[in-house]
Amino acid sequence: MSSTSAGPSRPSNTRLSSPGLVGPGRAAARRGSALRGDNRLALALPAAAILVALAFWPLLQLGSMSVHEVTAATLNSDWLFVGLDNYAALLASPDFPRAVVNTLVFVVIVTVIGMAGGFAVAVAVSSPTRGASYLLGMMVFVWALPPVVNGSIWKFLLGDRGLLNEVLRALGGSPAGVGFLYDPQLALWSVALVNAWAVIPFNALIFRASLLAVDSEVLEAAEMDGAGPWRRIRHVLIPHARPTATVLAILTVVYAFRSFDFIYVMTSGGPGTASTTLPYLAYVEAFLRLDYGGGAATALIALAVVIVLALFYARDVRRSEEA
Amino acid sequence: MSAATTTRAPARRRRREPVAFGIRLVLWVIYGLPLLWIVLTSLKSQSEVLTSQASLFFTPTLEAYLEAFADPALGTSLRQSIVISAGTTLLCLALATPAAYALARVRSRIVVISLALLVILQMIPQTANLIPLFWLLSKWGLLNTNPGLILADAVLFLPWAILLLRPFFGAIPISIEEASRIDGAGTLRAFFGVALPLARNGVLTVTAIIFLVSWGEFLYGITFMLTPSNYPMSALIAVQAGAYGIDWPAMMAFAVISAIPVFLVYIASYRLLRTGLTMGAVK
Amino acid sequence: MTQNRRRTGTALIAIGAAGILALTGCTPSETGSDTTTLTVWHYYNTDGQVEALEKLADSFTAEHPDVTVQYEYVPVDQFTTKAVTAAGSETGPDVLVFGASGTYPLAEAGAIEPMDDWWGGYADKDQFPEGVMQRIDGELYGVQGYVNLLGLWYNQDMLDEIGGEVPTTIAELEAVMQKAADAGHQGITLTGKPGLESQWQGFPWFTSHGFSYGDPQAAPMAGTYTMLQDWVGKGYLSREASTWDQTVPFQQFAAGASAFAVNGNWQIGAAKEAAFGYGVAPLPITSDGGVLLGGEVQNVGAFSKNKELAQEFLESTFFSVDGQLTLLDYFGSIPARADAASDSKIGDDPILSVFVDIVQKQGRPSPSPEVPSKNVNEVEGLVGDFWSKAVAGDGTPAQLADDLMAQLVPLLKG
Repeated sequence: MSSTSAGPSRPSNTRLSSPGLVGPGRAAARRGSALRGDNRLALALPAAAILVALAFWPLLQLGSMSVHEVTAATLNSDWLFVGLDNYAALLASPDFPRAVVNTLVFVVIVTVIGMAGGFAVAVAVSSPTRGASYLLGMMVFVWALPPVVNGSIWKFLLGDRGLLNEVLRALGGSPAGVGFLYDPQLALWSVALVNAWAVIPFNALIFRASLLAVDSEVLEAAEMDGAGPWRRIRHVLIPHARPTATVLAILTVVYAFRSFDFIYVMTSGGPGTASTTLPYLAYVEAFLRLDYGGGAATALIALAVVIVLALFYARDVRRSEEA
Repeated sequence: MSAATTTRAPARRRRREPVAFGIRLVLWVIYGLPLLWIVLTSLKSQSEVLTSQASLFFTPTLEAYLEAFADPALGTSLRQSIVISAGTTLLCLALATPAAYALARVRSRIVVISLALLVILQMIPQTANLIPLFWLLSKWGLLNTNPGLILADAVLFLPWAILLLRPFFGAIPISIEEASRIDGAGTLRAFFGVALPLARNGVLTVTAIIFLVSWGEFLYGITFMLTPSNYPMSALIAVQAGAYGIDWPAMMAFAVISAIPVFLVYIASYRLLRTGLTMGAVK
Repeated sequence: MTQNRRRTGTALIAIGAAGILALTGCTPSETGSDTTTLTVWHYYNTDGQVEALEKLADSFTAEHPDVTVQYEYVPVDQFTTKAVTAAGSETGPDVLVFGASGTYPLAEAGAIEPMDDWWGGYADKDQFPEGVMQRIDGELYGVQGYVNLLGLWYNQDMLDEIGGEVPTTIAELEAVMQKAADAGHQGITLTGKPGLESQWQGFPWFTSHGFSYGDPQAAPMAGTYTMLQDWVGKGYLSREASTWDQTVPFQQFAAGASAFAVNGNWQIGAAKEAAFGYGVAPLPITSDGGVLLGGEVQNVGAFSKNKELAQEFLESTFFSVDGQLTLLDYFGSIPARADAASDSKIGDDPILSVFVDIVQKQGRPSPSPEVPSKNVNEVEGLVGDFWSKAVAGDGTPAQLADDLMAQLVPLLKG
C-alpha cells in the first residue's frame, strides 16, 4: 500500500516524471548559474524585443486610452485627459456587478470542468486501443475547429427547435422548450459549458501525455497491492499529474477569461446583458458603442481581477525552484 | 482484484472499467454529434437549415459546396491560410524555443517576473490590441500584407508558446547539458546541439498546435487585411455571418473545406501529439 | 549517424523556412499600374447584395474602361473602427458605404469630409428628400442612395385559415395573433438580440406608445415592454426572439411558422421562397409612431487619391436612377430619388408599393435628430439592449423602463 502513496517514482538522475515547474533546480546548476544565467538569458532577447514592441506597447496604449476620453470620433484628435473617470463610470454602471459575477462564474465553470473533464478523459482513453485513439483524435479535431464554427453549431443544437430540445420534448419536457441561450438564468451556463467542451480535448491531450509517463511498473505494483482503479487514480495518477495540472490550470483560466468568440456567436452577451463577461463588455464598449476609453478601462479592470493568478503562478515557480 | 491479475498485461487492459467505457460513449456522442451536424448543415439548403434543425432527414444538396468551389476566393484564401499559418508557426517557434529554454534554465528574479508578465500578456483580450496594432502596422507599411499579419499572429501566440514549451526544456536532465559543457560547448551549442534535439518531440508538438490554432485565427486576419483577396480561410468562414444575414450552409461548407488541411496536418502529427507530449522522453 | 540526421533535419527546416518566408513576401493583391483602382468599403454580405455591387461596378467600368472597382468587405462591427483607425494613419478607401450611426464618428475622425460643395453642384440633388441627408451641424456628410424600412409581413394563407384580417391597430393585431396561437401557430416574429438592430425594430412600437427621444419618459417604455411580455406570455412571440437578428425571424416566417413578421423590404428575395401567399402592410402603430428610414449612407473617403473619380462613381451608381433601380432589383431597397421611386416597377409591385407608402406616411429620419450626434451609438445600443431584456423577461416592465431612463436621460441631454 505504501508504494502507491509515494507518488511517481523518482529515480535520482532522470526527470521522467517531473516535468514543468519542477525543473532541474539543483545545486549543480546553481553553481555555474551566475555566469551561465546571463549568457543564456540572451536567448530570450529576440522574443522579448518583439513582445515589447508588439505586445507591451499596445498594453501601454490601452492604459493611456483608459485615462482619456477616446471615442471613434475623437481617436484622431487630441485626447482629453479624464483621469479615472472611465473607471468610475464603469464601476458605477449597473451592468458592472453582473459582468464581474458572470466573468468569475464563467472562468470557474470552464476551468473546473475543463480540467476535471480533461483529466477524466485522459484516464478514460489511456488504453492504446484503436477506438481510444480515434476518439481522442476526433476530439482534438473538434478542438481545432474555429470557435465561430463550433459556437454556431451549438447554437443550432441548443435552439428551441434544436436537437437537444427535441429530445427533451420527446422525453416529456415542456413543449415550449428550454431557453438554453435566451433564458437569463441559463444563457451564461450554456455558453460556459460549450466553452469547457471546447477546451477539454486540449487538456486531455496534455494530461494524457503526462499520464503516459507514469511508470507502468508503479501502476502494476499498485494493482498487485490490491489497489482498485479509483485508488490507483487517486494515489498514483493524480499526484503524478499535479505539475502538469498547475500549468494547464493557468492556461485554462487565461483561455476562459479571454473567451469572446463563443459568447459573441451564441448569445451576443444576451439576452440583454445576461451572459456578458468583462472581456465581452470591453468589446461591446469599444466596437459597438465606439467608446475606446471605456473599453480600455474595462479590459484593464478585468485584467487586474486576474493578475492575482499570475502572482500565484510566479510564486509557485519560485517555490518549486527552492524545492 | 488481485486475484485476477495473474494474467499478462493485455488481458488486464481488455477488462476495461465500465466507468471508462461509459465516459467514452458519452464523449463519442458529445463530440461526434456536433461534427456530424456541421457536415449535415453543409448539405442542406438555406431554408431547410431552419426547418429541419433537429432532423436527420432532409434532402441533401451539394449546392453549398458547388458554390464554394466556384468561388474564386476559396483558392486564394486557402493559399493565404497556408502561407500565414506556416509563417506564423515558424516565426513563433523561432522566437519561443530559445526563450523557453532560457526561462527553463535560468534561475533569477527576471525569470519569475517574465513568467508573470507572459501570463498577464495573454489575458489581454485580442480585441483590445486591434487599434494599436492596426496603427503600428500601418506605420510600418505592413498593413494588408502577409508579413504584417504573420508578425501580429506570431506575437499573439508567443506567450502561450513559451509557456507551453518551457516544461519540455525543464524536463531535460541538467546532467546531460553539464556533460556537454565539460566538453567545451558554449551556450548556443548547448541549446542547439543538446537541448533542442532532446526536446524535439515537445517542440514539434507545440509546432503542430500553433499551426492548428493559427489556422483558425480570424480576428486579426479580418482586421489587418484590407483586400478580401488577402483574407485567410478563417476570415472567409466568418464573413458568411454578416449584417444582412447568415448563410449557414455556406459557412459550414467552408468550415468543412477549411478543416481538410487541418485534418491532414493533424493526421501527420497525430503520432507526435499522442506520444510526443511525453515530457522528457529521455531514455 | 544521429549527427547526420540532425543536420539533414535542420537543413530541411532551414530550406522550408526560407521558402515560406519567400512566399510570405508575395501578397496576392498587387494592382496593375496602368489602371486606376477605386476601393469601396462596405459590409454587404448576402449573395443578392454582392451581385448588385458587381452590376454597379460593371456599369461604371463600361464607361471608364481604365478603372477597376475593388470592393472590400469589412464586417459591420469593425467598420467604423477600421475606417477611423485608417484615417488616423492617413489612409482610407475611395468610397465608403456605411451605416448611418457611423456618420458622426467617421466625420469627427476625419475619415469622411463634408460633401456640400460637391452636392451643391450635383444636377440631380433635388430628387433626394431631406430625410436621406446625413448632416452634422448642418454640414452634409453623406447621402443615402436608398432606404430600408420595416413593415408588417403577413401570411395571407394563414390569415384566411384562421379568419383574420390585416390589422390596422395594435389591438386588432393582438386579436389576430390570438387566433393564430389558438390554431397552434406563432403570432409574430421580430428581432430581439441585444444591440442596434433591436433599437431599430423597437422604434415604431415605443414611439407608438408615446415615447420620444426629445422628451424621454419611463411610462411609454414600460407600456411597450408590457406589450412585449404580454405577447411572449400568451405565446404570440417566442422568448427565443431575444437572440434573433433580422434574418432568423424572417426565415421562420417564410417557412410558414408565423402569421406576422416585423421585417424589412430587403427580404423581398427571401420572401419568394415562401410556399404561401403573403403581403405587407404598414405596421399597425398609432400616429405618434414612426418607422426609421435605415439603409446605408455613401460618401467619398477623405484620404481618397481619386476623389473626383469617386464622386463620379457614386453619381453613376448609388445616386443614379439606374443604379438605384438595380439595387431595388437585387436587394429590394427603396430608391431615395423621387423619380426612381415613382418608377412603374415599384408602383406595380404589390409589396414595393406598400413600402413606398410606408416611407411617405410613417418614415422618420435615422438616426433620430433628437439624439445628440456623439451619443448615437451608445443610445441605440442601450435601447436595443433593454428591448432584448424585455423580450427575454429579464425584469418587470416598470423596473426595466426605470433602469433604462436612468442611463438614457444623461445621454440624451448630451
